[in-house]
Amino acid sequence: MTTTVTERVDRLERMWVERPGVLGWLTTTDHKRIGLLYFWATLVFFGAGGIEALTMRTQLIEPNAHLVGPTLFNELFSVHGMTMIFWFIIPMTTGAFGNYLVPLMVGARDLAFPRLNALSFWIFLASGIFLYVGLFSGNGPNAGWFDYVPLASKVFDPGRNIEIYTLSLILNGISSTLTSANLIVTIFKLRAPGMSFNRMPLFCFAFLAASLGLLFALPSLTADLVFLYLDRNVGTHFFDVAHGGSTLLWQHLFWFFGHPEVYILIVPAFGIATEIIPAFTQRKMIAFPLVAIAELLVVFIGFGVWAHHMFATGLPSTTLIFFAGATAMVVIPSTIQVFAWSTSMIAGRPQFKTPLLFIAGFIFMFVVGGLTGIMFLAIPFDQQTTDTYFVIAHFHYIIFGAAVFPIFGGMYYWFPKVTGKLYFERPGQISFWILMVGTNLLFFPMHIVGLLGMPRRVYTYPANMGWGSYNLVETIGGYITGIGILVLFANLVVSYFRGAPAGHDPWHGPTLEWSIPSPPPEYNFATIPVVSSPYPNWDHGDRERDGKRLAAGEDVHDQGHQQPISALIDGWRVGIADMPHSSPWPILTAFVLCMMATVLVVEKFVVAGFLAIVLLLTLLGWHSKEPQEQ
Amino acid sequence: MKQSGDRIRGARLVVLGGVAFLAAGCGNGQNALQPHSPQAGSIATLWWIMLGVSTFGLAVVVALLVASWFRRDREGRERPATVTVVVLGIAVPVLVIAALFSYSDIFLIRGTSAPSPTSLVAKRALKITVVGHQFWWEVRYPSGDVVTANEIHIPVRTPVVVSVTSSDVIHSFWVPELNRKMDLEPGRTNQVEIYASKAGKYRGQCAEFCGLQHAHMAFYVFADPPDVFARWLRDEARPATRTSQLFLDRCSNCHRIQGTPATAQVGPDLTHVGSRTTLAAGTITNTLAHMEEWIAHPQAVKPGNQMPELHLTDAQVHELATYLEGLK
Amino acid sequence: MSEITAETLDPRARERFPIGWWGAAILIVSESVLFGMMIGTYFYLRFRNLRWPPEGVPKPHVLVPLVVLGCLIATAVPMQLASIAGRAGRLRPTRWLLVLSALVGAGYFGVEVWQFTQDLHTSTPQRDAYDSIYYTLLAADHAHVAVAVLLVLWLLWKLRHGFTRYRTTALRAIVFFWHAVIVLTIAVILTTLSPSFT
Repeated sequence: MTTTVTERVDRLERMWVERPGVLGWLTTTDHKRIGLLYFWATLVFFGAGGIEALTMRTQLIEPNAHLVGPTLFNELFSVHGMTMIFWFIIPMTTGAFGNYLVPLMVGARDLAFPRLNALSFWIFLASGIFLYVGLFSGNGPNAGWFDYVPLASKVFDPGRNIEIYTLSLILNGISSTLTSANLIVTIFKLRAPGMSFNRMPLFCFAFLAASLGLLFALPSLTADLVFLYLDRNVGTHFFDVAHGGSTLLWQHLFWFFGHPEVYILIVPAFGIATEIIPAFTQRKMIAFPLVAIAELLVVFIGFGVWAHHMFATGLPSTTLIFFAGATAMVVIPSTIQVFAWSTSMIAGRPQFKTPLLFIAGFIFMFVVGGLTGIMFLAIPFDQQTTDTYFVIAHFHYIIFGAAVFPIFGGMYYWFPKVTGKLYFERPGQISFWILMVGTNLLFFPMHIVGLLGMPRRVYTYPANMGWGSYNLVETIGGYITGIGILVLFANLVVSYFRGAPAGHDPWHGPTLEWSIPSPPPEYNFATIPVVSSPYPNWDHGDRERDGKRLAAGEDVHDQGHQQPISALIDGWRVGIADMPHSSPWPILTAFVLCMMATVLVVEKFVVAGFLAIVLLLTLLGWHSKEPQEQ
Repeated sequence: MKQSGDRIRGARLVVLGGVAFLAAGCGNGQNALQPHSPQAGSIATLWWIMLGVSTFGLAVVVALLVASWFRRDREGRERPATVTVVVLGIAVPVLVIAALFSYSDIFLIRGTSAPSPTSLVAKRALKITVVGHQFWWEVRYPSGDVVTANEIHIPVRTPVVVSVTSSDVIHSFWVPELNRKMDLEPGRTNQVEIYASKAGKYRGQCAEFCGLQHAHMAFYVFADPPDVFARWLRDEARPATRTSQLFLDRCSNCHRIQGTPATAQVGPDLTHVGSRTTLAAGTITNTLAHMEEWIAHPQAVKPGNQMPELHLTDAQVHELATYLEGLK
Repeated sequence: MSEITAETLDPRARERFPIGWWGAAILIVSESVLFGMMIGTYFYLRFRNLRWPPEGVPKPHVLVPLVVLGCLIATAVPMQLASIAGRAGRLRPTRWLLVLSALVGAGYFGVEVWQFTQDLHTSTPQRDAYDSIYYTLLAADHAHVAVAVLLVLWLLWKLRHGFTRYRTTALRAIVFFWHAVIVLTIAVILTTLSPSFT
């Protein structure tokens, strides 16, 4: 009996259909749905972080203002930093973009561990609710996002604020670690046949680098947080100088995580840029191997520079010089990428649609931030400007410019793929320009006011210091930025309801996601594609052969919920796996973990122990059913 | 569409506007770009050089972006530009960064670091100890057993080595016009050199977040001619001549006035508080009215600082303020 | 280019490690870095303190910990043999080897818990930074040994009905985890006993 293409596709659809309604969303393991859940959740946190920022900026609009007192202000800047880093950028890049796009780009039907992916999301959501319940109940973290001891110790911060800090970050870290594991194994083992490492899109190299970075960096933060929790609640002395401990120990462990973290923040954005540039110049990326290696190197070398955050702590000169030297080295992979991007834009046929505008803006902002970053490797200069508004300017140019701008560009770029509609171009461009003006007005004067002596983390400042006019301009810039963000999202919302149909491939994009319908079907690819370059959607011959293979029933895998497994280096086929589909265990497990964190805030150790047993039982339930045998 | 033209014009406006604004901050005493010491001067010079080189580097990238805009809608070129990437992306940055690293981290850092304790400079330098507290600065002059708070006097054109530590959380000692900042950590003593080339008043501020009133933890450094400084030090060493019973009753749990039975050192030493220019670590100027305001409602002036509300009557406040202002 | 279909797995490749094993590998990397940071903390604190252990705290006993450590290291052999037997499909040898390893592992855990409670009589983690890192490092390691033993018990339960591909992958992943726990335990024990070696 011969089966037709339609029958095969129908069978695939039936195999991969999602449960309907809310229950379907709560038990989903589909990477696209989880990516969307991350997208919406992180946007809520982004909004919260933005409100925190605007509140602070309004308080600082003039000297000696009384809008917000020091208690609330200290919680605002702490929670703003934590939110933007851990609840916006990381989950938006790895959780939303990574989850949705990596399987599509490598030619897979899902991530390697779909239920683990769902667990990551629910733990992430729980950690954010945990943090904000803390903030709204007056127990928001209040010692800064890097929470130095002894200020964060029980003696000087006796409430529950720091328990909210440690436990929300531990939960968040577990979520990120699980996502990193998932992305790494997916990139290693689920690539389509023919996709050897040198034929993997640069986006995937970037996400591999970021995931490896998270894997190696997060445990340092976890250790730090556990030590702090123990010092505060069990009476240990890790950070207590009077009993053999060390305050600098906190800083070393924190920054060993913290510096790689900032590269982890921007490398996925680099990945987004390295897909948008080829798509909107219709040209391959110049120096592809250099760029791929640079993306991995910047995270790798980034592990060796952490004490450059500690140049003012009184470490010995030799130590300082070593870390300045390592910092000097980490610049090079970034400069390679900047020039690869810029020359690719010139050598191609650039179309300045909204996504490419955001990338051009990103390159500009990243270079400004990168140049001030280079200045910090001059130790005496760092020792003048660290802990001032100069640093705030530097890292916001990098984070807003080099992480958020590509995220916005990526939202526009992949909007047609995810929604099946085209966005409205004119409002898109307007939103870009408003944001360019707003962010530069907001962050550029901070360089100056930092050099004029304004320290960071101050809830107000005196009138006779000459800082007022700069702060006023910055606050205005902040509001303009807010408007730009609102215009951007209003455009996306209206486009969702009123946009023209997009079709498979409105941009003639280079990667595999553009070869399937918009939005993609649950199973992604009807037949697993064969790949012979990093720009598979431009290899028309391969894509035609895919069509013939579908007609011949090759590599369709419609007998179950199936996904092929590949060899590590060359992508050769080594097996077929049966993937899990729709499970309640991830959300249940996340709930138990969240309960454990909650009781640990109030030091109910026995209850926490009991919940640990419940956790083990939940994991037993998770693993009670085995996948079908082939 | 004139995107890139606008972009260049916008960038120029920002730079010019920035320079214009720069003038606004002059004279605030805490301006890293108005150095008054060789150390701060060398850092400021380094800044201007780095700014120049960076502007050039940014201009190159902006030129590439602008060029790409001009190339829009024109056929792409297949000519490989890997050499450009290698030269601009590797070779040039390596040279520039190597130069920056060598100059600042091998040469310049020697000047801005505190002198080695065994060196001649260190042996001859005036030594001061600063202990950080939430939210004030304890200042000690070992020679003469002088203790004061929130104000440092030094002789001009004399190396001064400040040994810094903290009694509670991490703070940071920073006088931008004189030198880099140095953290104050409990259980550890760091050292920073300050050397004023010119007589004057320099403002410093805590530069490591230390709690509720981190924003109001400033101090002043007065660089005076050596004879003026010597006179000041002598005056500071003299104990107070008058005692206030009200002070002993209500304030001596925390504050010391040398020459009286008030000896506690929880809060700042007040032996010569009348001669200080500011109160509450640079928060308010030292006038009788401000002193009364501070004594009456410290939590209103500096909410969250360690001095509790004392619930004194107006007459008591006035008596204490007058007494303290008299301690010159 | 040869056509790749579901029926014809690529003849050039053989699956060395299933994705379940990779998942275990990533977990092991993460835990190893965590222990690395804690061991780094131990030595950071050690070199910042003149007296280590501090005044009044005795140096750790070495004999019992090293002997039981030796027993735990020895379980690497039956566990590896179990993995090999499992891949060959030989159920009974696999089960016995797992039981043996689980018993020794549980014995190790029991002795260490006893030692831990004995130590608590002389000094507590609340006494000094030395005790804080000593007890925390050991507690973390013992917890990992306990988890490894529990995983073996779960696997034995699963294997009561014989092998499937899922269970063979689980066996390989758990054996890998067991080996990793042995290596981490060696590092932790040598670290916590280091004052007695110098």
